[in-house]
Amino acid sequence: MTAAASSAWVSALAEEHLDAAYNLGRWLLGNEQDAADAVHDAFVRATRSAHTYGGGNARAWWLAIVRNCCLAALKTRRRETPSVAVEAIVDAGVDTAANDVESSAEVEERSRAIERQLRALPVEFREALILREIEDLSYREIADVLDVPIGTVMSRLSRGRALLQKALAPRPPEGDMHGL
Amino acid sequence: MDCKEAARLLEPYLDGELDRDSVRALEAHVDDCAECQAALANLGRVRHAMRAEAPRYAAPASLRDRIRREAPAPAYAPRTHRMPAWSRLAAACFGAFVAGAAVMHYAAGPGSADARDQVSRDLFASHWRALAAASPVDVVSSDRHTVRPWFAGKVAESPRVTDFADQGFPLVGGRVDYVGAARVPVLVYRHDKHLIDVYVLPADAPAGTMLRRDGYTLIWSTLDGERAAIVSDLDAGELARFESVLAAK
Repeated sequence: MTAAASSAWVSALAEEHLDAAYNLGRWLLGNEQDAADAVHDAFVRATRSAHTYGGGNARAWWLAIVRNCCLAALKTRRRETPSVAVEAIVDAGVDTAANDVESSAEVEERSRAIERQLRALPVEFREALILREIEDLSYREIADVLDVPIGTVMSRLSRGRALLQKALAPRPPEGDMHGL
Repeated sequence: MDCKEAARLLEPYLDGELDRDSVRALEAHVDDCAECQAALANLGRVRHAMRAEAPRYAAPASLRDRIRREAPAPAYAPRTHRMPAWSRLAAACFGAFVAGAAVMHYAAGPGSADARDQVSRDLFASHWRALAAASPVDVVSSDRHTVRPWFAGKVAESPRVTDFADQGFPLVGGRVDYVGAARVPVLVYRHDKHLIDVYVLPADAPAGTMLRRDGYTLIWSTLDGERAAIVSDLDAGELARFESVLAAK
């Protein structure tokens, strides 16, 4: 591939999977500006290193570069707020008792709750879940993006889901907890 | 299969990553096991929460512009499945995602976006499994009279089987696969080196617009008045021709 052709190829690839890249960036970095900057960095880096693409899944190759840029941004960022411990999130719980009729406010509240719980997950579980459930990547693709074996992908997904399930479960009434 | 083994397979099952034999063995176990049914339902709730309620952020226009400005004029694009109308399609998919998320709180019935999502996922997964398997068919067609009787007793209703060899789409054979919990007949056709799966779906199966995933296309159609879905890696023009041949029958 000539240099011009490969950079045209990277542009097409980046444009096609721009939402996926940005979504991953938002979930890893939290805000619009940082996510957009990281995706832009990734685009520049991908253009420069198009020759390193060795065939295989192009979307996974692109998202792996995006992820690396996000992690680099995370590392340099001075964290003003310490990440919340998972146990605390689990304890906080959210009441998601399913009613047949829900007001739009309740729906919105649930959406905010799931977003909060997802953001509270340790990053290795969060990124695996985002790639699987929101970007619909296969185990193989996720393994390529995260650069880990498929078995690790499966255990991270499993652990992430278990934490999320626990966090989203309705809290048992106080009385029951002491009664046991 | 015991519960320990089943528990290990539940997530790959939901993720469409199990091979066909394991899917059958797992479904047989779950059918009879209340505990594993509950575990599956719990996993389903987490998945629903993520897919329906967690936001997917779309790239802001400013970022898209920034990247477009820096992009060279398109010259040559090797092996990406680029469609001329990809951006429109991507916008439509995102629209469907948002609309789906809005609708799903009120309707999780067969017509809902969630149900359609599950079905299309099953259809793609089935097609890919078949391509990866030693043979994409369980019964080989010598002529159409061998395929239809084979389905009898394996699915609720054997589909009418027609060979379209004259139109360039010879019948390869058939198999049975799962879509959700339903066993459905699959008719397999060939065009050059491309395989075309035609799934005959239950009457209450969801339908939708065309979907593309990793270079494969799913379109919704009808076969003898039955709901059907076609999955293949044929190019759009040939696939449209096949669909019209199928629907005209």
